[in-house]
Amino acid sequence: MKGFRILVTVIFGFLLVTACSEQQDFDQLDNLEITPTYETSVFYVKAQESLINRVSGLSFFTQDFNFDAFEEPLFAERVLSGVLSYELENTTSKPIEISLEFLDENENILDTEEFRMDAAPTSTLVRNVAYGPTGKSLDIIKNTSKIRLVATNLGDGSSTSNLANPAIVLRSSAKFTLELK
Amino acid sequence: MRLTHYLLLGSVMLTMGVFAQNKQILYDFNEIPQSLILNPGVETDFKWYAGVPLLSGVSGYVGANGISVNDIFAEDGVDINIKVRERALNVLKPRDEFSTTVQIEYFNGGFRSNDPSVFYSFGGYFEIDNITFWPQDYAYLIFDGNADQLNREFDLGDLNSRGSMVNVFHFGINKKVDRNLTIGARGKLYSGIVDYSSTSNKGYLVNTQGQNNRIATTLDADLMLRTSGFQSLDEASDSDTAAGQFVKRAFFGGDLGLGIDVGFTYHLSERTTITGSVLDLGFIHHGNDAQSYSLNGKATVEGIEIDILENFANLNRDFWQDLVDEVEGLIPFETDTDSYVTFRPTKLYASIRNDFGEPVNNGGGQIDCDCTAGSSGAVELRTKYRNSIGGQLYMINRPRGPQIALTGFYTRRFGNFLALKGTYTADKFSYTNVGLGMNLQAGPVNFYVMADNLLSYKNIAATNYASFQLGMNIISWGRNK
Repeated sequence: MKGFRILVTVIFGFLLVTACSEQQDFDQLDNLEITPTYETSVFYVKAQESLINRVSGLSFFTQDFNFDAFEEPLFAERVLSGVLSYELENTTSKPIEISLEFLDENENILDTEEFRMDAAPTSTLVRNVAYGPTGKSLDIIKNTSKIRLVATNLGDGSSTSNLANPAIVLRSSAKFTLELK
Repeated sequence: MRLTHYLLLGSVMLTMGVFAQNKQILYDFNEIPQSLILNPGVETDFKWYAGVPLLSGVSGYVGANGISVNDIFAEDGVDINIKVRERALNVLKPRDEFSTTVQIEYFNGGFRSNDPSVFYSFGGYFEIDNITFWPQDYAYLIFDGNADQLNREFDLGDLNSRGSMVNVFHFGINKKVDRNLTIGARGKLYSGIVDYSSTSNKGYLVNTQGQNNRIATTLDADLMLRTSGFQSLDEASDSDTAAGQFVKRAFFGGDLGLGIDVGFTYHLSERTTITGSVLDLGFIHHGNDAQSYSLNGKATVEGIEIDILENFANLNRDFWQDLVDEVEGLIPFETDTDSYVTFRPTKLYASIRNDFGEPVNNGGGQIDCDCTAGSSGAVELRTKYRNSIGGQLYMINRPRGPQIALTGFYTRRFGNFLALKGTYTADKFSYTNVGLGMNLQAGPVNFYVMADNLLSYKNIAATNYASFQLGMNIISWGRNK
């Protein structure tokens, strides 16, 4: 056994002595940054003009929607920046105001996004709202638990647009960069 | 928790070549008893042999065909983020692999029957195998995400990985049929300790133009991960009985399987020989502590969709939770404990060899001992020559299809105490793989050592492939020469 040990030592010693390796620095791993950007739709709301005409009063629609997506730890703890993109389309005969209120768990308003559109015909309103270093505070997003949608009819309550299926349509998508490492 | 985590981590870290090591240097190196493991039909002339416990056969292999440690970790002043992108993300493909095999014999022996044409061999060894193919689209999703990539389908089938830790008991019979033909077979009993496999995944993730909203995100998934043994080791680790559980699973208390090796040696002429073997035609039934996880279904979402008119009577419902529930209903994540079967990675070796030069017994270099070529425990041995040259083929069944390695070799025997074998192997890992093996016979003590890809030793960190084998045996040929 002693001879075997000596032989193994000699052989591997030889390999170790003759084998070379460029200097390796495994601490570089600490500098690795993994910051992907993900994109998906967030919410879509459609209010038909026939519905608007049925409701009396200026504010024809107010509703709180639970929205926990931004509170998920995977997102909230890692988000670096992002953009919420909105598209508002109005094919009704009424000027409309839409207000989006971002609420925390205690229903405190963290931020408000307001849109106002003229009656049809009008082009689609597109708005990109940045969050993070070059935009609004990320805390708004991280702490949002609900979204309150308030829609106000700034016109009359009886006219009907000549366009097909007149409605207010709010589309939105989110594009956020996360720090995975 | 820790033990299984370490086992898993260790396995994954070792995961780098073939799902079982190509032992091209040891193959048909019939001075070494362990060549019987690679071809049960190899020609043997031992009366008996006994491997030194835990030292008779130790082999290991690490391979990554598309990238090396040096590519990422060299101290070259280049930002690691650039290196990862330029040398991994932008280069590696789903067929590129990271794999490892480690095999440790803890006992091995053999003896000749009363019928001198029959030789029995037996033993046991632990084997850890892992292979992971580069999960290309998962890597893109992790490093880049899916933003601004409308209609780009991320292939979920890129996830392809499996590994196992197995204790193998084997018993083989080697029969010299006549002067030209030797055949052999080996039965194997597998005792699976841990296993995982996720090799038949399908599906995609894609963002497309939405019908209602801006983007429609579609997940079409048919993913499955099967595991066995991890939970029981995990629980045992929590109660400090992991070692006992490990031993229990290693010795028939875990998953069980059967396998067979077959092989032959045939002399086409006095100096020309062909050999072949098929190894690990077998399976393991994972019925003890099996856990499977699956994600199967298809869903397309465009976020929370609220048509006020349609939902007017029910606007207070939780649209977010409804969306989550709907997706989970369409693509359920399920676990079960159903047993499953894995097939062992079947390997095929074949070779053709031409011997030339003086017979080994002629001339000097003989030591006076009960040893080496030409001595006779068997019947009617053929003459061994000082030189052999030939070619070998190695094939292995892999998750993404068979892989092939071609080897050219030259063997030189110095008397009856020393033999050297040099190889050149071409495979997906390297076209510059030069290996060298040495068999040393000091009286009854047999020692061998082999290493691969020697040219890479000038910068070992830059190699895509490295392997070694070594072992020690006590051999008797039954009588002094």
